[in-house]
Amino acid sequence: MTDSTVQHNEDKRDVTFRVHRFNPQVDSKPYHDDYTIKIEKGITVLRALNYIKEHVDPSLTLRAFCQAGICGSCAMRINNMSKLACTTQVWDELDKAREPGVIKVDPLRNLPLIKDLVVEMDPLVGKMEHYSNWIDSKMPEEQWGKKEFLVSEEEFVKYDKATDCILCASCVSECTILRANREYVSPAVLLKSYRMNVDTRDASHDLRLAELVKDHGVWDCTHCYRCQESCVKHIPIMDAIHGIREDAIERRGVKDTSGARHAEAFMDDIARKGKLVEATLPIRTNGVGWTLKNLLPMAVKMVIKRRTPPPPPLVKASKGIEKFREEFREMSGHVAKDHEKKSGE
Amino acid sequence: MKLFDIVIVGGGGAGLYAAMEAMKTNPGLNIAVISKVYPNRSHTSAAQGGANAALANTAKDDSVELHIFDTIKGSDYLADQDAVEVLCSEAPKIIRELENMGTPWSRLDDRTIAQRPFGGAGRPRCCYCADKTGHTILQTLYEQCLRKGVQFFNEYFALDLALDGSRSKGLVAMNIKTGRIEPFHARTVVFATGGYAKMYWNRSSNAAGNTGDGQAIAYRAGIPLKDMEFVQFHPTGLRKSGLLVTEGARGEGGYLVNALGERFMSRYAPEKMELGPRDLVSRSLETEILEGRGFDSPAGKYLHLDLRHLGADLIKSRLPQIREMCMYFEGVDPIDDPIPVRPTAHYSMGGIDTDNFGRTVMDGVYAAGECGCVSVHGANRLGGNSLLDILVFGRIAGRAAAEEAGSFDPAPITEAEIAGKEQELRSYMKPSGHYERYGTLREELGQTLGQNVGIYREASKIEKGIEEIAALKERFTHVRVFDTSDIYNTNLIQVLELRNMLDLAETVAAGALAREESRGSHTRTDFPVRDDGNWHRHTTFTLEAGRPKLGFKPVTMGRYELQERTY
Repeated sequence: MTDSTVQHNEDKRDVTFRVHRFNPQVDSKPYHDDYTIKIEKGITVLRALNYIKEHVDPSLTLRAFCQAGICGSCAMRINNMSKLACTTQVWDELDKAREPGVIKVDPLRNLPLIKDLVVEMDPLVGKMEHYSNWIDSKMPEEQWGKKEFLVSEEEFVKYDKATDCILCASCVSECTILRANREYVSPAVLLKSYRMNVDTRDASHDLRLAELVKDHGVWDCTHCYRCQESCVKHIPIMDAIHGIREDAIERRGVKDTSGARHAEAFMDDIARKGKLVEATLPIRTNGVGWTLKNLLPMAVKMVIKRRTPPPPPLVKASKGIEKFREEFREMSGHVAKDHEKKSGE
Repeated sequence: MKLFDIVIVGGGGAGLYAAMEAMKTNPGLNIAVISKVYPNRSHTSAAQGGANAALANTAKDDSVELHIFDTIKGSDYLADQDAVEVLCSEAPKIIRELENMGTPWSRLDDRTIAQRPFGGAGRPRCCYCADKTGHTILQTLYEQCLRKGVQFFNEYFALDLALDGSRSKGLVAMNIKTGRIEPFHARTVVFATGGYAKMYWNRSSNAAGNTGDGQAIAYRAGIPLKDMEFVQFHPTGLRKSGLLVTEGARGEGGYLVNALGERFMSRYAPEKMELGPRDLVSRSLETEILEGRGFDSPAGKYLHLDLRHLGADLIKSRLPQIREMCMYFEGVDPIDDPIPVRPTAHYSMGGIDTDNFGRTVMDGVYAAGECGCVSVHGANRLGGNSLLDILVFGRIAGRAAAEEAGSFDPAPITEAEIAGKEQELRSYMKPSGHYERYGTLREELGQTLGQNVGIYREASKIEKGIEEIAALKERFTHVRVFDTSDIYNTNLIQVLELRNMLDLAETVAAGALAREESRGSHTRTDFPVRDDGNWHRHTTFTLEAGRPKLGFKPVTMGRYELQERTY
C-alpha cells in the first residue's frame, strides 16, 4: 500500500438507526424510533446520532463529551453490544446488523434508565466507594510532596493496563451476574480493586480484600468473559478477577469463604473422579446448616421431578482418570513451586 | 437554607485539587463540587503528554530556574514572572505529591518518575504515564476525593452567580437529571470549568463541553476576563476530526513532513525542528498549507506526522492510545503509514482575571486552571504546562478559599430569583419567534472564528468576524429548544452552552482586533512584529451595556528582560 490516507471513499448509504426512546415524564414504557439518514463511509455512530439530534430530532437524548474515546461518556449498546459510540464506525456496524441497513442503539444494561440512552451512573460510584477504590498511601499525608516512592518498571506494569479503565461501564452492562443481582460488585470495580491491591504504595490491601470476599463479591463471577470481550480498552479484566481470587486464597486460605471452599471442592472432585459430585457440593461449600436451610425445599422438588443428581457412591471415576491424576499432580507441583518462588521474592 | 463554605464549579484537575486542598486546610468546612459531567469524564482526561516539573530525573542538570526561563520565553514575555515562579517552583513538589497519593507514572531504570522532551523546553522535563497522563491524574484525584468524602453534585449545570450587593452569595444551577433549578448558597465560589477553545467547534480538539461556562458566568456578573485573544492552535490535530495527536509523538522523535517529502521545520526552527513551541509549529504547518505544499483531500488540506521510523515496539509501548485513535478516526496505523494532521484550536490562554492566589476582583469568587488567567502562559503555553497549571493553581485556589471562607453570611437566594431563571429557560421553548436551530448557529460560529480569528489574523477579517458574531447573537434570540421535557434536557444544555460561547467569542474577536502586533499565538499579518512599546501588556474585558469594554493591565516583570524569541 502506498498511502492509504489519500484514499477517499465517496460511498454513501441510507442507514436506519433504531434508537431506544423513553421519557419517564410522558412514556409508560420504552419504545424504538427509526431515523434514516444518508451517511458516508468513515462516520462514527456518535457523529450520526449527533447529526440526528441537531437536524432531525433535538429531543433525542444521549451523553457524549470528549468524542475521542477517552472520557467514557458515550457508552451504549450498539447492535446488542456495549461500546463507545465515538469510536464505532457506522460501516463496521452495518456488517453486524441483523436486519440489513438497520443499526440498533440501546442504553447500557444493569444500570437504572434515566431517559433514551442515558443511564444512572451513581450505583457504580457507590460501589467504587464501598470497595475503597483508591490508593490509601503508605506515606502519611503530612509527608507528601517531599520524595517519590521508588517503583520499578515491573511493579508499574502490574497495574499499568488496569489504569487504562475509563469507567465507561460497558463491562457493567454486559455482565451476566449483574443481570441477576445488581448488588454484585461488578467487573469495573473488581478491576479497579485489583489495580489498587497490586500497587506497592497502597496500605489498605487486606481491608479491601476482606470486603471483596464477602457476599456479592469476587467469588460470584462465573467466568463468562463477557466483561473482557466488551472492554473498549481491551483490558484483560478476567486476569484481574483471577488475580484477586488467587490472592484471596493465598492470603486468607481456602476455608475462608464459600467461594474459596467451592473452588477447593471442585478441585478435589476433579482430582479424585475427573467429574463433579454435585449432590454434596453445596454441603462442602456452605456447610450442612446452610444447605438444609436454603436448599432443602429445592431438593424436595428435585426428588418429585426425578431430577436429583446421582448419590456420591454412584459417581464413577471418568475413563483415563489415572493418566489425568498424574498430570494433575504434575500441574499442582508447578503451582506450588510458583508460589514458593513468589513468597521467596 | 443550606450553606456551603466553598462551592467549586467544575470537577476536572483544578476543581478536584482545589476540593482536596480545601478539605486538608480545614476539614471542618462544608465543601461541594458541582459539575455538568461526572468528574472522571472531565477534559483533563484528554491530556496525553504529561506535566512539566524540574525533577531532574532524566536530565540531571535541569533546574526550576531553567523551567521558569523556558516558560517566560515560551509565553513571548507576556506571562507574569512572579506567577511563573510559583508555577515552576511548586512543580516538583506537586508531581511528587501526586505520586505519593497513588498516581501511576512511567518509570526510569532507577525507579524514579520518567521524563520526556517536550516543545519549547530546554531539558526533558515532562513527567508522563505512557500517553494517558491526564487520564491517570484525573482518576487518581477523583479517587482521592471519594476517599476524603468530598460532596459531589454530578450533572449539575451552573447557570449564574447570585449577587449580594457587590459580592457573590453563591450560584444557581440546574440539576440536569431533574431539570430543577437549585440554589447553592456559598461563602466562596471557585470556578474551574476548563477552557473555551470549543467555540472553534469543528476546528477544535476540545470536548463538546469546553464551552467556557465559568468564564461566561463571571463575565456576565461583571468580573473581568483577561488576554482572551490568545487561543493556542495545536499543530497536530487529526485531519478529519480535529482530535489531538500529543506533542509526545514528536517528543519521542516523530517527523513533520510536507507533500514534497521535506522535513519542513528546518525552514522555521532549524535548531529545535519538530520540538519548537506550539505557536511557531502551528504557523509553520499553516504556512506550508497556504503555500501549496500540503496534501489535498475532500476533508481539507493537511500534512504528515511520520512515526514509522520509531518502530512498532516504541509506538505500542509509549503511544498506544494515539495509535488507537489514528486507527479509529483516520483508518491509519502509524506503524505502517504517516498520520494526516493539521492545526486545531486547542487551548485558551485567556480566562477569568485572577491574582496569584486565584482571587478575582469580586469578593468570594476564585478561578483556577484553564478557566482562570493568572497569567503563567502569557501569549503561548508550553506543552506540559497546562496539567501543571491546573494542579498548582487548583491547589492554591482551594487553600485560599478555605482560609478566606470566614463567617460571611450570604443573604438567601430568593424564590423570585429562582423563578426568574426558570422563566428565562422556559422562554427558549416557546414556539412563537423561536425557530433557529442551535446546531447551525454553533457550526457557523466555529466557521467564522476559524476563518477570521484563526491562526493568521488581519483587521479586515477580524472585523468581518465581529459582524458575523453579532449577527449570530441576534439570531440566537430566536433559538428554539424543541425538547420541552424537564428530565435530562440536553437540547436546553447545548443552547445554554452556545450562549456562553457567543458571549466569549465577542471578547476573543475584540482582543484580536485591538492587539495590533504579533505575539505568541496571536499573529496579525498586518502587524507582523511584536510591539513591546505599545503592547507589552495584558488586555482585560468587562461587560458593559452588552458589549466587551477593553482595558489593560501591566505585565509583572522579574529577572528576565524582554528578548527576541527565537528557537
